[in-house]
Amino acid sequence: MSADDGQDVPRTSLVLRDRMGSGGQGDVYPVEGAGDLLFKEYKNPHTVDQAALSVLPAFRQSLAAADLARLDAVAAWPLCRVTDGGRAVGFLMRRAPDRLTWQAPSGRTKLLELQHALHPPKAGTRTVPQPSPEQRRALAAACADAVDWFHAAGMVIGDISHANILWSLSPEPSVHFLDCDGFRRVGGAAVQAQADTPDWGDPLTPPSQACVDSDAYKTALAVVRILTQDPYVTPGATLRLVPGCLNDRQEDAVRSLFQQATGPRGTRPKPAEWRNALSDRGTIQLRATTPRQRPTVDTSVLDGVRNRKPIPLRGR
Amino acid sequence: MQLLPFYLVCDESGSMAAGGVDAINGALPDLHDEISSNPAVADKARFAMIGFSTDATLLQPLVDLSEIDSLPSLSAGGVTSFAAAFRLLKSTIQTDVDQLKAEGHSVFRPVVFFMSDGGPTDTDADWRGALKELNESRYAPKIIAFGISTADVATITEVANFKAFIQESDNISPAAALREFASSLTRSIVNSTTSISANGGEGFDLQVDDHVPGFTSLSLDKM
Ligand SMILES: Nc1ncnc2c1ncn2[C@@H]1O[C@H](COP(=O)(O)OP(=O)(O)OP(=O)(O)O)[C@@H](O)[C@H]1O
Ligand SMILES: [Mg+2]
Repeated sequence: MSADDGQDVPRTSLVLRDRMGSGGQGDVYPVEGAGDLLFKEYKNPHTVDQAALSVLPAFRQSLAAADLARLDAVAAWPLCRVTDGGRAVGFLMRRAPDRLTWQAPSGRTKLLELQHALHPPKAGTRTVPQPSPEQRRALAAACADAVDWFHAAGMVIGDISHANILWSLSPEPSVHFLDCDGFRRVGGAAVQAQADTPDWGDPLTPPSQACVDSDAYKTALAVVRILTQDPYVTPGATLRLVPGCLNDRQEDAVRSLFQQATGPRGTRPKPAEWRNALSDRGTIQLRATTPRQRPTVDTSVLDGVRNRKPIPLRGR
Repeated sequence: MQLLPFYLVCDESGSMAAGGVDAINGALPDLHDEISSNPAVADKARFAMIGFSTDATLLQPLVDLSEIDSLPSLSAGGVTSFAAAFRLLKSTIQTDVDQLKAEGHSVFRPVVFFMSDGGPTDTDADWRGALKELNESRYAPKIIAFGISTADVATITEVANFKAFIQESDNISPAAALREFASSLTRSIVNSTTSISANGGEGFDLQVDDHVPGFTSLSLDKM
């Protein structure tokens, strides 16, 4: 399978393994005998804008080697369309590498989604790797830098959310975008009508008009939510940064950009401004964060006369 | 926070002994794993479990699944009192919703996934009366009912007020059907809470499969 050249691949040439994921718009399958290639098959191929989908593999083909490597590092980009009877029914992409996964307490491997960096750990997420304060700063910077890179390349992201960005701390803090068929050329059409993820909408831009400015607003959400470990904070709220993640200069800059993000369309801080605000390593006083203690729920229940053994949920 | 409470209401009468309770008990860790590892879902969903036979028992009080390490199991025995299940459901929902509101949450209408593998052993007047009281209560839930094995189409249809499913006994074993039931519940929790925002005043779409493998979807357009 040569998905790398960007040429359409016929659906009939693919042998699929068991479905590994499903979303609102498509089902995702590993392709038999094709290494880490995945096929995302649209649930409603007739709503797919064929030309808009062609733009995405073509964009990748247009990149010079260094940029192409960069794209593949930061995104599960559509490599080529998959066609059936001359119409695109999906596309091939690469599986997110293992460094972007975590092992749940059940023992199962899961994608390390942005949400796992935003929600303080609880019993069900206690095995999520916890970024140090310095790594939080670096993750936020990596996020802003990736959005800036796409904007510089003429692409709008659209649905920046807690589920569409994966992250890793090794070898260094980095991010990786999923659901990349939601991307489009600046001013261009989306492959399919896109919704915003709840809690990730720009109040001033309907999702059908996603643009670099709505991306800028959502970048503010992502950056500040990483730095505060608060999945729901929005511009205008009081900023409670994780202690020790920013030096004084960075903190002043972040506070001022966060304030600026409450402004009208066109005035939100650009992703590059976030990156610059977070860039200077300087001297940072590192302090260990203690994960917030959650109440332990008493799971003993009234059993009447029967012997109700608890079902072990862990370490299976 | 805007919350959506789910109640799993399971028949654990004697007829569920032959692999039935084992199938549900075996499926619950998957449900727990799926929800508890997904903080955006767990934050907005709450889960409780009621088992019913001669009596009804609140096996798992309403909880954020990401905060617990074990779930109680079903254990078969006794007859099948729908009335006991509906009465306990009504009082539990009332207490739970009042409690969540007192804690400052907004609460969406609760969702019940009801499963029985037979018919009620109460008198018709008794279970129908209890169901009517549940449906007329302040926080009347949306009920999705699943019939397994010898469950009767008319009864399951009557219990449901949102969707109803009956096992296709020729195509699937009761145990496999129960696993599909549990997967359908898991999908409903994930897909429904994914459309809920933390605080915004907007509503949400209750997502329940139209088709569950091994089941026939029943029409609720009753006369
Ligand atoms: N490159 C990938 N590597 C690993 N898993 C993936 C990859 N792409 C998708 N998946 C899995 O498949 C699921 C569905 O994919 P995706 O989010 O692209 O579909 P969608 O229909 O667009 O979903 P949404 O409802 O978020 O729009 C993901 O949640 C994820 O679990
Ligand atoms: Mg997605």
